[in-house]
Amino acid sequence: MADIGNVRIRVPGSVKAGDVVRARVLVIHPMEIVERRGGRPVDKNYHFINRVVVTYLGREIAQFETTQSISENPFFAFAFKATEPGQLKVTFLDTHGGKFEGSADIKVT
Amino acid sequence: MAARQARALAVAVLIAGCAASDGARAGLPPTPWATRAIPEARGEVRVLPDGKREAVRYRGWTTEDFGAYRTYAYDDARPAPPPARALTPAEPGNAAEGRRLFLSRSLGPCTGCHLVQGEDVWPAGNVGPDLSTYGDRNLPDPYVFGMIYDARHVFPFSVMPPWGTMGALSPAQITHLVAFLQTQKGPLPPETGPERNPATRPRPVGFGDNLDPTNNPAVLRAEDAEAAWARRGPAGKACADCHAGGAGQAMRGVATRYPRYVREYRRVMSLEDLLTVHAVERTGTALPAESAANLDMTMLIKMASNGMPIQLDVVRPEHQAALARGKASFERRVGQRNHACVDCHTVDRGGDKFLGGRLLALVDAGLTRHFPTWRTSQADVWGMRRRMQWCMTPLGMNMLPADAVEYAELELYLTTFDQGKPVSVPGIRH
Amino acid sequence: MNRSTRKLSRRQLLGSMTALGVAAGLGARPRAAAAQGAGSLASLGPEEAVDATIRRLFGGRALKDGAAQIKLDLPLIAENGAVVPVTVEVTPPPAAQVKAIYVISDKNRRPLNAKFVFNPGPAAPIIGTNLRLGESTDVRVIAELADGTLLQAKREVKVTVGGCGG
Repeated sequence: MADIGNVRIRVPGSVKAGDVVRARVLVIHPMEIVERRGGRPVDKNYHFINRVVVTYLGREIAQFETTQSISENPFFAFAFKATEPGQLKVTFLDTHGGKFEGSADIKVT
Repeated sequence: MAARQARALAVAVLIAGCAASDGARAGLPPTPWATRAIPEARGEVRVLPDGKREAVRYRGWTTEDFGAYRTYAYDDARPAPPPARALTPAEPGNAAEGRRLFLSRSLGPCTGCHLVQGEDVWPAGNVGPDLSTYGDRNLPDPYVFGMIYDARHVFPFSVMPPWGTMGALSPAQITHLVAFLQTQKGPLPPETGPERNPATRPRPVGFGDNLDPTNNPAVLRAEDAEAAWARRGPAGKACADCHAGGAGQAMRGVATRYPRYVREYRRVMSLEDLLTVHAVERTGTALPAESAANLDMTMLIKMASNGMPIQLDVVRPEHQAALARGKASFERRVGQRNHACVDCHTVDRGGDKFLGGRLLALVDAGLTRHFPTWRTSQADVWGMRRRMQWCMTPLGMNMLPADAVEYAELELYLTTFDQGKPVSVPGIRH
Repeated sequence: MNRSTRKLSRRQLLGSMTALGVAAGLGARPRAAAAQGAGSLASLGPEEAVDATIRRLFGGRALKDGAAQIKLDLPLIAENGAVVPVTVEVTPPPAAQVKAIYVISDKNRRPLNAKFVFNPGPAAPIIGTNLRLGESTDVRVIAELADGTLLQAKREVKVTVGGCGG
């Protein structure tokens, strides 16, 4: 079984400085949806990713506020201008205090 | 001399007789196969204290017992029910009630196969004729009644289920449907878009690259099974102990030859079937059929053959016999709907048409080489057998255990259509 | 935060939390404590119509037609509502910056799917994700520019109901 918080990230092998790089990331997560009983929502602390932080070269470049209306095992594609070689990191934060990270090296020629 | 000749002849006849009867049973295990499936996948029906029968199935599946109807079991000798008739009730039907029944998802719905008028008709299929102007044909009510009750009187090989004969619809319900169909007259209003009518509806685009781990969560599950490959089981051994070099290397090409007759167990087996016995016997680790552990290990083993063409042995006698039985299953009418696989999955019938919102796959496209597959609608990995068992729900038929020989031989037959095509596991589908 | 710490905090807060969010009309039945945490119903916010969501997010600001600036990729028909891929690429007017992209599904109980915020810097206004749709619905994408301008593009997605025969 793939564990919650297992992250995969894909970036191009190498890019030229100034290129807009497209990255893909997936994290295993249940993204629990609201249960209904007798037509009413059940009150509990639903387990889902509610925040995603993207950093490049140690600086935050984007943040996503996410909800239960994002599919289970959330997938995100995003893009950024590559300026110098360095690390791209994606951090997922969930409603139960979970924090999951994936990173990839951006190779800039 | 004469006695010796007579004896030789008798022995020859005896051998020929044995061969003839063995031929049909070649490749079948001598005793019934004891299932090693997870409880939800054993096809069990239990009797409750009040005497009611309840099927044990996967969570969320109906528990209705369809024991009255034919299954794929080789020892189920019940014939398909012959066409029957009924007297048309005297009371005329109500068209509004008929429309409600026509669209009702707890029955057909009839819109699964037939388009009728209405913006709210979504999603209708085109396995059967478009009935939007059926009323213009001015067919007599008793004729229409008979078509719904049991169309086989007019079309002996019809895909149309015999609703009345099977007790799926009552004569009263059928009269309501008749009344509704007679209201379906032209001229038709223009369509607001291409999607409502299945004839113009765009085909589904799928879910992208099945082998991309940032697209298909099943790839992560399969890769995690690499740890299970090296893990020692209760018997003190791991797969890696006998199959050196990691699964990717040791299992290269293996998946291209399955399903196959396994001499040690005297039956046709898929990789999943083999794992249910092989893993526990060698390592002590149980991998029951349709368990996550079995599916993950199957995916890992099959991924070692990704890109390689399927190369089934279709020559050996056990496979020839099994293929004949699998083909017979593919053509066998089963369940309350009296349907066979051919009815949905071959061209000239339902194949490549919409069943409700689902495009029905054509068997000759090759439907097995992407299994096990991720299913986005389930957020889970399904094996081929669970997929076969799922067909039970609309057919109104009790399922067999996931590792049943009947399913294995049907799978063998289906896999012949993947012959020469590349393995691509795990898949990603609706 | 380890499990025991989390449990203790919950118990400490329980007393004050029972006063929050008492719904009307529950009668004499003793009320269970409201759930805690970022995923609780209180944190999720109300189920609301999309007009209310738009009002809450953007005040009364006008939504301008952004069809020319927003490339929106969505299937016309989704095989199921669990995974509906969407890709958005915004080409803002010259010298303008895209601050955020909102993805909203009108008929979802809580219409906002996600909000993508781009800090000034290398991030490009391009995103993709998989949406959960409760039913066939308009999906709208709203790009917020740095100067507060709101550009909107939308598309209807018809969701195929599941199961054989529908």
